Amino acid sequence: MKRFGILLLALAAFALGQSPLEKLKSALDRLRGPAHQAVYALKVERPGSSRTYRLRVYTDGERAHLRVLEPKAEAGMAFLSLGQDLYLYDPRLGRTLRLPPSGRSERFLGSDLTYQDLMGRDLEELFQVTEEGGTLRLVPKPGAPTPYGRVEVYLREGFIERVLYYDQRGQAVRELRMGSYQRLDGAYLPRTLELKDLTRQGYRTLVEVTEVQVGPVPERCFSPLYLERGC
Amino acid sequence: MSLLRLAWRNVLRQRRRTALLSLVVVYVTVAVLFLFGFLDGYGESLVEAYAQYVEAPVVVAREVWWQDPDPENGFRELPAVAHPLVQAATPRLSLYALLRSPYRVQGGVVLGVDPEGEKTLSRVPFKVSQGRWLSAPGEAVLGQRLAERLDVRVGERLVVETGKGALGLLVVGLVRAGVGNVDFGGVYVHLEDARRLSGGRVLATHLALKVPRGKEEGVAQALNQALPEGLRAQGVWELMGPIRADYEGSRLFYVPLLGLFMLLAAVAVVSTTYVSVRERLREFAVAESLGLSPFRLAAQVALEAALASGLGLLLGLLLGYALLWYTSTHDVFGPLMRLSVELLPESGLSEHLYTALRPVYALYAAMVVGLSALLALLFPGRLVLALEPTRYLKGE
Repeated sequence: MKRFGILLLALAAFALGQSPLEKLKSALDRLRGPAHQAVYALKVERPGSSRTYRLRVYTDGERAHLRVLEPKAEAGMAFLSLGQDLYLYDPRLGRTLRLPPSGRSERFLGSDLTYQDLMGRDLEELFQVTEEGGTLRLVPKPGAPTPYGRVEVYLREGFIERVLYYDQRGQAVRELRMGSYQRLDGAYLPRTLELKDLTRQGYRTLVEVTEVQVGPVPERCFSPLYLERGC
Repeated sequence: MSLLRLAWRNVLRQRRRTALLSLVVVYVTVAVLFLFGFLDGYGESLVEAYAQYVEAPVVVAREVWWQDPDPENGFRELPAVAHPLVQAATPRLSLYALLRSPYRVQGGVVLGVDPEGEKTLSRVPFKVSQGRWLSAPGEAVLGQRLAERLDVRVGERLVVETGKGALGLLVVGLVRAGVGNVDFGGVYVHLEDARRLSGGRVLATHLALKVPRGKEEGVAQALNQALPEGLRAQGVWELMGPIRADYEGSRLFYVPLLGLFMLLAAVAVVSTTYVSVRERLREFAVAESLGLSPFRLAAQVALEAALASGLGLLLGLLLGYALLWYTSTHDVFGPLMRLSVELLPESGLSEHLYTALRPVYALYAAMVVGLSALLALLFPGRLVLALEPTRYLKGE
C-alpha cells in the first residue's frame, strides 16, 4: 500500500512537472496507440443517410497503412502515411498515387475525418500550447498553415477526451470525442471516436476500433510497393 | 441633275410606299449600327479586362511555361526586356493551390506579385474594397466573391497549400474589380510567399509588361524578334482564354447575319421599285420617245431605289447613333453582364459593357443603299431597258 502511494506521488509529480507541450505529446501518443493492427469501423452519417466502412489498419504510432475491406465498391483502396508523404492505391485505377502534403487535410473517404485526424501530429507542430484549468489551449504559430483560430484539448488523467476546433471568430466548428480507452499490454488506444461537423447539422463520423493486436508491424507494411498487394 | 430631280419627284409621288421602304432600311441601319457597336464594345471590354485586371498588355515567359504553366518551368533568373514602348515591367509567379478556411476548401490559381510593381501595371491594387493592398510577405488579398465563398474575412488567416508547401496567410484586403476572374478567383500573395509555395527554385513564372493600348500585339511581335531563344512574348489578345473564341465566333456569326439583313432590305426596296416600274411602263415609254435614252431611264430607276433607301439610311443613322451614344455612356448592359459573370465567373467577362461608337459603322450601313441601287439597275432597270415604246404608246 505504501509502495502504491509512493508510485502515485511520483506519477503526480511527473504530471505536474510536464510542460503543456509535453502533456499534449504524451496524450497524442496515447491517442495514436502503440504499434498495432486493428479493424476500424468507420460510420459516416449524413442527414438522411449513412455509410459504413471497415478498414484494416497497421500502424507503429508514427506511420500508418490503412486498407478498405468494406463496402465492396471501395474494397482494396489503401492509404499509406509516412510523415509528410501520403500515398493512395486505387484498385479502379490500378496504380499508386503520391498525394501532395495538402492531401493530409482532405476528408478521408468522404467522412468528417481528415488523414491528419487519423495519422497526423499537426497539433504539436502547428500550434503553441498553453494550459488553462486542466485544458490545453492551442493557438496557431505565426504563419502556421491551419485555418483554425484555436484548438482546445480536454484531458482526463492524461488521455484526450475531447478536442474542440474553433474558427477565427471564436465559434466551435469541429468536435472530436474519444469514447473510452482500452488498455493493451501497458499501452492505450481509444475504443471509439466521434467527430462532428458543428457547422452542419447531421454531419457526424463514428470510428470504432476492434480486433486489436498489439505488437510490431512488419516493415513492408510501410512501403508504397505493398499498398497494392497488401502486407 | 435633272435625272436626280426626276427621281426625287417620283419618290415623293408615292409617299406611303416610300415611307414603308424607308422604314425597312431604318430598321436594318439601326440593327447594323447597334450590332457592330455592341460587338466592338464587347471586344474592347474583354481587352480592357485582360490587359488591366486578369493578365497584362504583354506577357513574357519561357516557351516551356506557355506549353505547361507549371512553376517549375518559370524563370530561374529574370530576363531583361527592352523596348521603347514598354512603360513598366513586373514579375509574377502563378501557381495552382488549395485554399482552405475552417469551412471550405477550394482550388484556385494564386498569383505572387511584387506589391509595388503591380501598382504600376494593374488596376487590381486600386480596386481594394475592404482592407488594403499587399505590403509584405505573409499577407493575401482575395477577390470579394471568392472570400464570400470561402467565408474568410479581412484579418483572418487563409491556408494556401501546394504540392511543395503550405502557408497560413493573413487576409489583408478584398478586391471588387467587376471582372469575373478577379472577384471570383483572385488570390494575390507576395512574390516571396509564392516562391516558397512553389518550392523556392524559380523567381517568377512570367514577366508582365505595360504598353500603350492598341500596341500590345506589335510590341509582342517586336520583342519576339529580340528575346533570347526559349522566351516568348504574347500580347493581350493571345492571352485571352476561351472567351476570345466566343468573341470571334460572335463576329463570325453576326457579320454574315447583318449582310443577310442588308440584302433582304435591298430586295424589299427593289421589289417595291419593280412594282412601281411595272405600273409606270407607259410613262417610261413616253419619256423614251421624247428622247431619253433607255440607259438614263434605267439609271433613274436605280436612283429612285437609292433615294428611297437613302432616306431610311439617314433616319436610321440618326436613331442608331443616338442609341449607340446612349449605350456607350450608360451602363445599360450592366444587369445582363453581371448575370453572365455569375454564370461564367472564370471567363474574364467584365460586369460593365459599353458599346463602341465609330463613324465607320455609317459606311457599313450605307452599303444597303448601294446594294438597292445595284439590284434596281439589274432587275427593274432591265424592264426599262427591254421596253418597246411603240407598243406601249399604241396602248397594247
